[in-house]
Amino acid sequence: MSSTSPKDRLLDTLAKKRVDRPPVICTGGMMNSAIVDVMTKTGHTLPEAHFEAGRMADLAAGIHHETGFENLGIPFCMTVEAEVLGSEVDFGSLACEPKIARELFPSVKSVVYRDISSMLQVGRISQVARAAELLALRHPDQPVIGSLTGPVSTAASLVEPLQFLKELRKERESAHRVLEYVSNFLIGFARVLVDSGATVICIGDPTATGEILGPRMFDEYAVTYLNKVIDGIHATGVPVLVHICGEMKAVKPSIPLLHSDAISADAFVNLKLLKQEYSQLTTMGNLSTILLESGDPEKVIHRTETLLREGIDIISPACGLSTSTSLDTIRAMTDTVKEA
Amino acid sequence: MQNRNLTADDHFKELAEAVVEMDEERAVAAAHASLESGIDAYDAIQQGLSAGMERAGQLFEEEEYFIPELLMCSDAMYAGLEVLKPHLKKTAGSRGTVVIGVIEGDTHDIGKNMVRIMFETGGFNVIDLGRDVPPQRFVDTAIDSNADIIALSTLMTTTMDGMGTVVRLLNEADIRQGIKVMVGGGPISPGFAKRIGADGYAVNAAEAVKVARELVAI
Repeated sequence: MSSTSPKDRLLDTLAKKRVDRPPVICTGGMMNSAIVDVMTKTGHTLPEAHFEAGRMADLAAGIHHETGFENLGIPFCMTVEAEVLGSEVDFGSLACEPKIARELFPSVKSVVYRDISSMLQVGRISQVARAAELLALRHPDQPVIGSLTGPVSTAASLVEPLQFLKELRKERESAHRVLEYVSNFLIGFARVLVDSGATVICIGDPTATGEILGPRMFDEYAVTYLNKVIDGIHATGVPVLVHICGEMKAVKPSIPLLHSDAISADAFVNLKLLKQEYSQLTTMGNLSTILLESGDPEKVIHRTETLLREGIDIISPACGLSTSTSLDTIRAMTDTVKEA
Repeated sequence: MQNRNLTADDHFKELAEAVVEMDEERAVAAAHASLESGIDAYDAIQQGLSAGMERAGQLFEEEEYFIPELLMCSDAMYAGLEVLKPHLKKTAGSRGTVVIGVIEGDTHDIGKNMVRIMFETGGFNVIDLGRDVPPQRFVDTAIDSNADIIALSTLMTTTMDGMGTVVRLLNEADIRQGIKVMVGGGPISPGFAKRIGADGYAVNAAEAVKVARELVAI
């Protein structure tokens, strides 16, 4: 048995200190592991746990306990931000995660700017914050990860996304203004989570991919505003993880420009090569969620061992888990890391 | 572009370039100019606008263009199309009907919209069910519209199961033979497509049209 607490192990890893072995985590938010198996076993279920701090904390603790992931991750969706900003959210069901039903504005030019400090008082923000507080209190040895939807995705949840993407080119001034606004709001939200006890913040920004934006706009928007949010969180003294969705090829040279303390990548990204090319990066990932869902623990063990051998710094699923993923495969993953 | 000395090819080239250059106003002007020169609207669409869109698709595959650029190209194409459409003498023969949508549970429809645009510009009649669509609706719509293809998209691993469900429902309804199923989207692989019994897989919107053409040609 190792004497290092999971919280210290993660923080040490992010501080580039030597650790006995990589942490194995699942951040929550976009990459949450609120699978049906866990919910039926623990009785803590979605969609109820999206709304109330006690239930949210109980489900997060249940996930931690059942899966073996060495963290507590909240919330379980990517809609807390968009809801507060005013878009319409469909809260889904037990097996189906919440999503934006309708974006509030048709164009970046029509966005109505509201006061950020008053927005931080509404929606589910206080419930997520209270959940972080409960979890930090009840699990002092575990890192509490607060998950944030990244600035580009949040902006694309506020403004109709296709129009938004075009306007990144056509209406640059207004687009930047929206991203500035959204970023300031995200920093505010992250600070509420940090004040409530979040150990680490993870940002997932699925619209900000090289495949969607291309390298030029990835730099102009994704790198700029991710860094703005990261810097704002760093000012509180808390480390930040960033997950980049999709194929990274088109934007690879931009990845080291991100100020985050670790970079998480999708399954088809070769983290070993990324690490070789940019030795300064702390890498996180990237066990295929398709593999996890397919239900073959042997293959999962094999793949996890490969990631460990390759020196990936933090072992984690590569993307959002299917709610029908079985506990067996997840356990195979977390046990393999812990036995390393 | 009021120059009467321009050949038909010049007009086609101007239309195509307006699309590739993402210039809506230029596409509208080029469409008017080609009409004034007596160019057949159908030819202007096919050899001008569609050719431009095809080139844009190529640039997308070569990673010269990305989603925002491709969307703006399609805006220019539609702008030109609006001008030309009322002048179509005959309705262009459709290559086939495609029912498209994003599987239930997923509201990411950027990829699907790109595929729809490429289908439309590629001469298909497209019925877009939007996002978050239950599997049964794909099947019902395909039957009602006598569709040739059902095109399913998802960006989330969490909703991939629904794709298999569509194939299963088609089998159960005993209409699997007449309707081809193609799948695509971030987490989808050719292997997954095969496993669920889909007929086609495309890695992106430009390839989706090529795959669809092959599927209906069989």
